[in-house]
Amino acid sequence: MTTETVRVVVVPCSGIGKTYGTVSREAAYEVVDDLRPETSQLVPLSLLVLGEEGACTAVSHNPAITIDGCKLACATKMVQESGGQVAHDLAVLDVYRRHRQFKPQGIAELNEGGQQLAHALAEEVAALIDEVAEGADWM
Amino acid sequence: MVEYLEFTLDKFTFKVATDRYYHPDGVWAKEMDGRVTIGLSDFLQQRSGDIAFAEVADVGTTLAAGDEVANIETIKVDVSLPAPVSGTVVEVNPRLELEAEVINQSPYEDGWLAVIETANWEADRANLLDPPAYFAHMQAEAEEEVKKL
Repeated sequence: MTTETVRVVVVPCSGIGKTYGTVSREAAYEVVDDLRPETSQLVPLSLLVLGEEGACTAVSHNPAITIDGCKLACATKMVQESGGQVAHDLAVLDVYRRHRQFKPQGIAELNEGGQQLAHALAEEVAALIDEVAEGADWM
Repeated sequence: MVEYLEFTLDKFTFKVATDRYYHPDGVWAKEMDGRVTIGLSDFLQQRSGDIAFAEVADVGTTLAAGDEVANIETIKVDVSLPAPVSGTVVEVNPRLELEAEVINQSPYEDGWLAVIETANWEADRANLLDPPAYFAHMQAEAEEEVKKL
């Protein structure tokens, strides 16, 4: 008997040319590369839009945490439309409201405030991944 | 029941409430018994983007028309807002401290900014735009914005 390990899917905003979109992606990279590499995986929003099989399978077989850059909430909507279940949806704006000292600026390269905000967001996502992976707050 | 003038451009619809006056920068003023409630027009809140923080002058602050009465920080820009009338701030919307997004959600009602007690409403009103004039002004600004895209 084998046990399938849950790897929480992280889907950030794909807004190009938007500071908050960049913050969401930087946070997602930090989560999957550094903070929770064993228990998370990154799925790009663009692949869900395309209906790419691997991306759709990932979101339909694993809980997802979405990070939206604006109120259009494309990441959250696209996961839902792809048959996935959103365990937690985070908005960069809400995280910024909790960390006003980290004012993000820049697009291709974030300023220091933006990098700190991305880090704070990544820490929040990592904590949520731990909850979800333990099954405490999923399904 | 408030009535609105409406203008649609591309995917955006902008509303102008017809029961108040407007500073050209997009701050509305609605007078009742010497007290003027102020807020952002629908056009200004949409153009500015999702609001993260709104800082309004403290109660007791005396302002001349045109002085900064508030500053809003959005996901796009920081916007300094001029007082549309002179007078003293007597009330600030308490919801703004924790729910600044109420300005985006309800710019003409729940998202009001402050109440200013004024002794010069008639004189200040003469420098403001009535709804049709602001509607035309806003239309021209919106069309200019689209040309920049």
